[in-house]
Amino acid sequence: MKTQRLRYYILGVTFVLAALLSLPGCHKVENWDNDLYGNFDALWTILDEHYCFFEDKDVDWDAVRTHYRSQLKPGMDYNEFFDVCSAMLDELRDGHTNLISWFDVSYYRQWWTDYPQNFNLRIVQQYYLNFDYHSSGGMIWGKLPDCNVGYLYYSSFSSPVNSSFIDNMMLSLKDCDGLIIDVRDNGGGDIDNVRKLVGHFISERISGGYIRHKTGPGHSDFSEPYEFFIDTAEGHVRWLKYVVVLANRSTFSAANNFVSVMKPLPHVLVAGDTTGGGSGMPFSSELPCGWSVRFSACPVYDADMNLTEYGVEPSEGCKVDMDAQAALRGHDTIIDFAVLAITTAAEEHGRFVAPQSTGFEH
Amino acid sequence: MKARILAILSLLMICFGIRGEEARPLRPVLSAFTVEGGTAHVIETYLSPLRYSGQRFGVGYERMQAMKFDPSRWTMDLEVRLMCSHTLNPAHNATMWHGSVEGRWSMMRTWRRGPWRYYAGGNTDLDLGVMYNARNSNNPVAAKAAWTVGVTGAVAFNTKLRGVPVCLRYMAMLPLTGAFFSPAYGELYYEIYLGNRHGLCRAAWPGNYFRLDNLLSADLRFGGTVLRLGYRLDVRSSEASHIVTRTVTHTAVVGVASEWISLPAKRPLQETDRIINALY
Repeated sequence: MKTQRLRYYILGVTFVLAALLSLPGCHKVENWDNDLYGNFDALWTILDEHYCFFEDKDVDWDAVRTHYRSQLKPGMDYNEFFDVCSAMLDELRDGHTNLISWFDVSYYRQWWTDYPQNFNLRIVQQYYLNFDYHSSGGMIWGKLPDCNVGYLYYSSFSSPVNSSFIDNMMLSLKDCDGLIIDVRDNGGGDIDNVRKLVGHFISERISGGYIRHKTGPGHSDFSEPYEFFIDTAEGHVRWLKYVVVLANRSTFSAANNFVSVMKPLPHVLVAGDTTGGGSGMPFSSELPCGWSVRFSACPVYDADMNLTEYGVEPSEGCKVDMDAQAALRGHDTIIDFAVLAITTAAEEHGRFVAPQSTGFEH
Repeated sequence: MKARILAILSLLMICFGIRGEEARPLRPVLSAFTVEGGTAHVIETYLSPLRYSGQRFGVGYERMQAMKFDPSRWTMDLEVRLMCSHTLNPAHNATMWHGSVEGRWSMMRTWRRGPWRYYAGGNTDLDLGVMYNARNSNNPVAAKAAWTVGVTGAVAFNTKLRGVPVCLRYMAMLPLTGAFFSPAYGELYYEIYLGNRHGLCRAAWPGNYFRLDNLLSADLRFGGTVLRLGYRLDVRSSEASHIVTRTVTHTAVVGVASEWISLPAKRPLQETDRIINALY
């Protein structure tokens, strides 16, 4: 009797242990071979499960897989394979999506290559600042000649926002009617720098927009949008006079976000061209061969829940291109437009709107 | 009347523990300081879908003692470990670091049968750590935090090897429930930083948070000093929001241990005292 009970006991314990030990097997992890097809499938699957704009961009990712997988040929070298994978990623039309190998980085460029550049830093430095400007990190500032307007150029949001530098600039320009913030050719960087910089231009807490994330591998598995806020730069100087933000198609990612946050402010106009977009915060992953891939994973929206992946348009009446002929004579017609907007508004003490003329006489 | 007073005095003596020459249980503390080194295999799908492999090393402290309320039947075990893994991806061009600090307290019913000791009981465990993959852009880090309650079991055998007293022990720990931290599938830590802390704390059960920590050790007692040699197999696998974290580590354990006891100056060690070791 005792022996039988012991047998049942041992059997029971064995069963429970076996059941417990089999539990981790339920946590499935995909495996890919380190060959052409394995790496291709890994790349396709990573994007399939994590990329966030399939539905917004109406991309048939299954069809993309079929099309590009058929281009793989046994024995193709890694350069050819890289080109096939890059072409597949280009189907996403996303400047935040890159394939990074030890010999090359794929990059979708058409978000800016199909548009005028609308910026020449040398013209600004030479003809507007007379090479006499202050700089720190990725910022330069100075007072523009023949007008009462200050100018700040921020080349990259990867450079930390130095609030002391901003304070000093604002105090130095305190008698100016307005300030131009130039983020043309600013390809983005750390989005937290957006919050720091915007904090200098608001008098109270504002909505910074919304962010979502994927909750699963399905193309429409998203969380509810989460609204985030931007606080004023407490203890620092704040600029509540007129501001014109200058943008071009190369204003991308965090800089695109900066423009989308600044645009609704009543004392701000956005002038120049539509920004380049890039509103998906990127994630990174990697392939068995050691290449890494970066892609948009978390969409960020503006305060009205508009997706800014395709860019932020200038304020009404503020779409201005750089005049190539004028540029040859040292004129940046976008800056001229901004100066005119500030000067006109200061003279009329009215609502801050686009001026009637473009500011440059041909 | 006299008999009644005597009865009351006897009762008071029992209540205040005045038992004359009755055996006093003494509970030596077994303290062990160890270093561990070995291999680690890590999958953290939030950071990478690939399996990373490399080295694992760390330090640990264990304190074992019979419990005060019933020393011959109950034993407590406190373990604190500071661990670090350095692993590489299959192509050996990316590195993942994993650092963790863990504290576990177990309370076990103890059976003593000749040279054998059997332990079974519960534990509570707090494990905090971080995984870091330097090549990633916005998702370089996966934070790890778990508080669990589980079962601990152990068996120990005291013998002699060429005249040296040796205690062989196998100890295993399995969490059964608790809570652990996990972001959502594609959630950036930046979003958490912005204030979205919804759903970060997950209820744990062996189906979504499995762990089996095994320690096989031999304590070689050279007088008052103990040399501990051992092997640890720590298997973990968790899944939350389709994020799978799996670590399997094999480590060799080397350390020194000693038993010590503190006695009140007013009452030094007496012949009648009964020493109840936690392990030996």
